[in-house]
Amino acid sequence: MKGKTWLFWGGLIAAAGGVLFQTSYDVQDLEEKLAGLNRKIIQEQETIQILKAEWSYLNDPSKLEQMAHAYLDLQPTEARQFNLALEMIPMRPSDAVPPPALPGPVPLPPMVRAPGAGPQLAAARMPAPAAPIPASGIVPVNAPMPKALPMDKAMERAPVVVPASLPVAARIKPSALVPGAARAPSEKATADKAAPDRAAGKLPANAPTSPNRPTELASRPTPVAAPAPAPAKAGNAQQPHQPAPTDSLGLLVARLGANR
Amino acid sequence: MTFHDQQGAAGGGAGGYGGQTVPGQPGGAAQAAAATAKPRTSLSVALDQSRYRLMVTAAVVTTVFAAIGVKLAFATMFAGGGEPRQHVALELDNTTTNRGDILDRNGNLLATSLVTQSLYADPKLVSRPEEAAEKLVGALPELDYKDVLAKLTSERRFVWLKRSLTPKQQASVHRLGIPGVAFEQEERRFYPAGNLTSHVVGFTGIDNNGLAGMEQGFNKRLTEDPAEPVQLSIDLRLQHVLRKELAATVQEFSAIGAAGIIFDVRNGEVLSMVSLPDFDPQDPTGLDPDTLFNRASLGVYEMGSTFKIFNSALAFDSGKIRVSDSFDAAHPIKVGRFTINDLHNMHRALTVAEVFQHSSNLGSVRMVQQVGVAAQKAFMTKMGFTKRTGLELPEDGWPLVPNPWREINSYTISFGHGISVSPMHTVTAAAAIVNGGFLHTPTLLKRKPGEEIPTEQVVSRQTSDMMRRMFRFVVTEGTGKSAEVKGYVVGGKTGTADKQKGRHYQKNSRMSSFLGAFPMQDPRYIVYVLIDEPKGTAKTYGYATGGWVAAPAVGRIVKQIGPLLNVPTVDENAPEILSATYLNAAGSTNWQQSLPPVTAPPPSKGSTVASFPTQTKPR
Repeated sequence: MKGKTWLFWGGLIAAAGGVLFQTSYDVQDLEEKLAGLNRKIIQEQETIQILKAEWSYLNDPSKLEQMAHAYLDLQPTEARQFNLALEMIPMRPSDAVPPPALPGPVPLPPMVRAPGAGPQLAAARMPAPAAPIPASGIVPVNAPMPKALPMDKAMERAPVVVPASLPVAARIKPSALVPGAARAPSEKATADKAAPDRAAGKLPANAPTSPNRPTELASRPTPVAAPAPAPAKAGNAQQPHQPAPTDSLGLLVARLGANR
Repeated sequence: MTFHDQQGAAGGGAGGYGGQTVPGQPGGAAQAAAATAKPRTSLSVALDQSRYRLMVTAAVVTTVFAAIGVKLAFATMFAGGGEPRQHVALELDNTTTNRGDILDRNGNLLATSLVTQSLYADPKLVSRPEEAAEKLVGALPELDYKDVLAKLTSERRFVWLKRSLTPKQQASVHRLGIPGVAFEQEERRFYPAGNLTSHVVGFTGIDNNGLAGMEQGFNKRLTEDPAEPVQLSIDLRLQHVLRKELAATVQEFSAIGAAGIIFDVRNGEVLSMVSLPDFDPQDPTGLDPDTLFNRASLGVYEMGSTFKIFNSALAFDSGKIRVSDSFDAAHPIKVGRFTINDLHNMHRALTVAEVFQHSSNLGSVRMVQQVGVAAQKAFMTKMGFTKRTGLELPEDGWPLVPNPWREINSYTISFGHGISVSPMHTVTAAAAIVNGGFLHTPTLLKRKPGEEIPTEQVVSRQTSDMMRRMFRFVVTEGTGKSAEVKGYVVGGKTGTADKQKGRHYQKNSRMSSFLGAFPMQDPRYIVYVLIDEPKGTAKTYGYATGGWVAAPAVGRIVKQIGPLLNVPTVDENAPEILSATYLNAAGSTNWQQSLPPVTAPPPSKGSTVASFPTQTKPR
């Protein structure tokens, strides 16, 4: 009896000790993990800081101006352009041009139509026979997708489709603005007709994700540069000539070191 | 037993009792009684004693252990487990550096801290200094062998070998595996904008203490609250435009330096401030110390004709002079051994408008003669020309003011000589002249929306309105025509001051400046350009005056910054613009007179002359 009691208590103590040790090791492990994470966070923060500095360094206005001179045909904006532009923007063709054949949202400017991408996106994501959907066809983008696509393919395509529709919709070309407001509607009508054709023709090329990606990527820095819109514009142009990330980092570091 | 007890009693503290009983009891019975009583007594006494001792000991031990126990309980249970845990999750929004960033008004980085590794050695731990030095110089060729060897054999326990290694250098030194040589994490200040903002932002020393500019002025703030960046009022884009145009002007006229300021007249923010030559804040010490000199805020100069702005404002504000009053500008004024004359004498009497237009020294002197010395001194003090501007920079110059302020001083001050102020003084005061009379303390920090702006009314609204017309008049028909930019109604005043070298004025070294404001119907910005010692070129027919040198630069700057600052363009000849800015040489603000008769003449508004006290004066 006594032996059993001892055994019971001994076993209990041993078990408690075991659990305690286990917990202790677990805690140690977690603490190590936490320390590792903290180290990583600090490292990331330092890297972010370096990248921020690099971003500002590459966005130096003098440098951007040089680049703009070298690679763009753009000139600094002048006062006369503001006055001209105001007079030359045609009034929105409201009733004069009945929306040709296409339902509602077409006459809206491209940016306004962006919500229209909603149904279209949904359509693209539908794996099952998406073919009948062209009827929803605000955007003819759906046209070259008659075959039933596997879900993953459709998903893959979906994000690409949206940007592809934007250039198509960008009908307000400068050339369309130059003639007086009187001629504008007819121009627009033809442009409207031409647009779907062009889009349809163009889309197969656009449909594979690859050709579209660069533009998508290139446009990405713009929101980052929100504080300085003007330099950011030039930043896009500068993108192709930018050295590889490692190089520019090296450049920065070299600059830091070179001045010692 | 007895013996033992006696021994024990004798040995104990109460031994005297036993000693007394033994000799003092000769009787047998008494002896026996004593014999039976004695050992019991001594035994009980001994027992008592030892019990007491034990109790005392126990009490002491208990107290001590209780104290330890209580302390332990406190330390473990109530004090958060003694020493703090090593591993606490980081605050994510925190920064890793010990010095805050400096941003421009749009959030672009102007100064930031980057973490770098620095190499140091503990010479006591370096076993073979020669070999170690050789290896180190092999890995870092820019180190000097002798220098490194001297450091490694020194008696100190800590020597820096090289600060701020690149990761590559660090790896190569690491690979050498020299004992006693180690790395220390350090921060290094980095200025992405480089020279562009060098005089505003300043620089730090090797230990990250601010030594100039905002880095020095806000040293405490930057180190105390590193997570919160300091946002300046500077706009990097304007800074670039200003610096580019100044550099071009300096080059064109072979000048020795330049200063430029773009100033928001509504709230006193300095949007851009450039001083040329400038320096690389990454390496400020390697250059000519002259480049560290901030001409825009630290340098004080005789401003020349730009001061006629304040002379005219003084004249209007005194109420004694109207814009159409005429003053003799034909005959030089002799004061003692000095003779005051004009650069281009018009040989006739000029109205106040014409005095301003042709920048006549004589007319200015006649005006101040009428106003008086005391009024001038009070006015100049009110405009802030006798103290520092209150800019946040440590480089904030003290003006050189004549003391005592005599009549001759008042004459020369009327056309900008005999008083030296910094360009920042001039711009701040001129902003008050054109913005309706409100003097704002200049600031390099971005004002928060809704923040109260320190303001002081220094001239009346009517004076300010008339001064706007005068500014505009100089650009439409005066010395500053080349500052005109279509769409932005620019106004301004040229200035050309001879430089004083030693005790004499030099004929051919001058400071040419232009103080421009736009748009004049409702001024929002002042653009100031000062060129130090420009030389005339063939293109300017050898002239190097403010109108030829600085005014075109201001024109080019306004043209580029107008769109960036969202200033709407207007037609200069639109009636509402003319009625707000028109002035002619006779001093009339009625713009319809100068135009061919209109079918329905609108009510003559904007004739602010009527609002001045009319009084007849000897002409």
